[in-house]
Parts: sequence; C-alpha cells; structure tokens
Amino acid sequence: MNHLRRQFPVWGTIVDVDCYSQSVGGAELDRVMELVIAFCEDVDRDFSTYKSDSWVSRLRRGAVAIEDCPDDVRQVWDLSLRAKWLSDGAFDPWAVEGGFDPSGLVKGWAADKCADMLVAAGVAHVQVNAAGDLALRGGWFDSSVGEVKPWSIGVVNPDDRNEVVKVYEITDGAIATSGTYERGAHISDPHSGMIAIGAKSATVVGAEGWLCDAMATAVMVAGDDAAKFFGQSELAGYQVFAVNRHEQTAWEI
Amino acid sequence: MGGLGAVLAITPPQLGSSELNIAGGSVIGSSTGTSTTASASSTSNTTAATTSAKPVATKKATTKATTKATAKADAGATASAAPTAAATTAAAVATAKSGTFTGPAIFVNYGTVQVKITVTNGKITDAVAVQAPSGRNDRWTNMALPILKKQTLAAQSANIQGASGASYTSYGWYTSLQGALAQAGL
Repeated sequence: MNHLRRQFPVWGTIVDVDCYSQSVGGAELDRVMELVIAFCEDVDRDFSTYKSDSWVSRLRRGAVAIEDCPDDVRQVWDLSLRAKWLSDGAFDPWAVEGGFDPSGLVKGWAADKCADMLVAAGVAHVQVNAAGDLALRGGWFDSSVGEVKPWSIGVVNPDDRNEVVKVYEITDGAIATSGTYERGAHISDPHSGMIAIGAKSATVVGAEGWLCDAMATAVMVAGDDAAKFFGQSELAGYQVFAVNRHEQTAWEI
Repeated sequence: MGGLGAVLAITPPQLGSSELNIAGGSVIGSSTGTSTTASASSTSNTTAATTSAKPVATKKATTKATTKATAKADAGATASAAPTAAATTAAAVATAKSGTFTGPAIFVNYGTVQVKITVTNGKITDAVAVQAPSGRNDRWTNMALPILKKQTLAAQSANIQGASGASYTSYGWYTSLQGALAQAGL
C-alpha cells in the first residue's frame, strides 16, 4: 500500500492531503498530487478576494458578469444560490460587504474536487483537509492491522483546542466547521449585518463539501433555528453539531 | 477571544490549521521543513494486505458519530482525554527520543518563526518559539504563539487522523515544528 501525505500553502492557509493507494505510487502519485496542487492554485487565482484580478474580485466590482466567467466560477455561483435558498438566506454570499464573496463555500467545494481528482486517478483512500473543511474518500489504511478503517475526524472544542469534543467516523463524505474562533469574527448575519451569534462553533457532516461548508456558516448565523433547514430533503443525511455560545452545552442533529 | 479575533481578522493570509499534521502516532511523512513553498512530502510502502475500498461513486456520506462521554454536556470543560491516548503515547515511546529539538528558522512575510520542542519519552512536553516575529505584528504574535503551543501539545492527545475546526496556526510555526518533530523521530 502506497502512502503519501503532502501539505502545501494555498488560500492563505495550509491544505493537507493524506492518501493511500494500492495501485498508484511513486512518481505517478507525486504527479497526481502536483495536479491537485495546481488545481488549488487555480482556485486561488479565480476566487481570491485578495487578488484584484481574480474572477470573483472582478465580479465584486462589476467589471464582469457571471455569464462571462469560467465554468468553475459559474458552478460556485449556482451552488451559492442553492445554499442561500436551503438556508433561508442565513448563508448569503451576496450580503457580504464589498459584494459577492463565496469564501464560505469554496473551501469545502474545492476539498471535494481535490479528493475526487485523486480518486479518479486510482487513489482509493483520501483525506483532504482545507483548514478544517475536510473531504474524505474510501477510509484510510491502517498498516498496523492491515485493514481499511473509516477516517476518524475530531471536532475541536472552540473553548479549548486541547480537546476534541466529538469524533465522527467518516468513510466517504465531508465535514466542515465554522466558528468565531476560526479567523476572528468573520461571519456576519446577512439579515442584520451584525456578527453571527447563533453558535460558538458549528460542524456539519454530509455528502457534499460545499453544502457542509455553507450550512456550518448558516448554523453560526441562525443558531438552533437552523435545525429546520435540515428537515429539507436536500439535506437528508446531513448531521449537525453546534456548540452554544454561553452555556457549556451543544446540540446536534 | 473577541480581541484576538479582531487582530486575526487583519492578518488573514497567515492563518491555517495543522492539528492533524502532528496527530499522535500517525506522523508517517516527516518533513525537513526547510522550504517555505512546499513541505512534508513523503511516500512509504507497506507490505500489509489491504482490502480495496469501494470507489466513491456514492454521494451518500457514510458516517458514524462517536460522541465522547464528555462531549455534549461538557463542551467547555477540561480534561477529556481520548480513551486511546495512552496507547498512542506508548507506541511513540518505542521510537522517539527524549530531549529538546529545534526546528529550522522559517521566514514568513511578517518575520521569522522557529520552534523548539521538548520531548520526554516520546511525548511532547513543551513547545516554544525561540524566534518569533516582532514589530508591528507584536500583538498578533504575542497572542497567537501561546495558542499554537497549546495546540502542539494537544494534537498528540487524540487518536484521530484529522481535525475539523480551524486554528490560528501560522505556516511558519507549522513548518518549523515539522522539522523539530522529524529530528525527534516523532
């Protein structure tokens, strides 16, 4: 079993890829990894709000219409619309100061894309961790016992990161966590414009990374009102774990 | 935490997550940590048999949640060590040294970061920055480094492959730490 773990800086953070493959290894595995890294750099070039010539920056200042953007940007735009709809506007990339900012969804979306690139290349067991937004495929290979196990992914306690407060075992799927502790209070309530106060930290586990990422933000905004979002058929099978702001409590679906 | 958030919000490019990079017992790819553009690449080959997992065609997430005893009611409480932490530590003892190990000095665009770890019987007992950025980012550095240290000590306490929940970890701290870990055989 070939094993490759690679971390690289992109999007102002570090992406960590951990993968195992029976059939792909050596230079071939390195080559696939380089493609993944190149994809991440493309995503940065297209979506960064810090780069004035990115497509998203051009969209924000009205220099280009969405119809004129490349496929990936249009796809993220469409997914943003769906996430806004599924969250009754609690996730709203258009309500961000300065205009359309899909940052709350792109990392989860891109992590899925990276994982699927590896799977398509024959790498069966993949973890892509984009700074807390993870895409998992095929479990991991525990060489000490010679068997494939689900990825064990810990949710970090927002009050004390010495602790993992919950562990999800995920074979195929995605997990995303939002929190005010993450990068400062970077999530604001699109309805009020104020800092989101619905939860201290919100984790969503499900099939699609973009939706986990966006809905984690929606739970940060809407708090336990967000529970109703998860009754929709599009979110069947999605799980939520939210740490409340003041009490030492959490709720989950 | 609010004050820290306010400071961090103005330095977005330096922040990331790295808990999982040093998760107990699963550091297979150790890095030299001397590059600031790409790091920690390794390939290993094990001969153990494997079951080839199902391809990922299914879009249904297959998950099973395991809530720790302390998780729900005690989300803010201290000392909920993972049940497997002891086993992980024990495994590390066999291969790791004791002593202090200093990672390479890593230049990041706000200064230089260099991390020194103290290892006792294969367990990291301390992590300090022997070099940290100074100047106009002092406020950030002074608050961020204690958090990074806590995180370094914490990552070995849970037997997990990855963590969700972001962190303040700077790339410099992470890269230098990887170098120190490699020297320690962790």
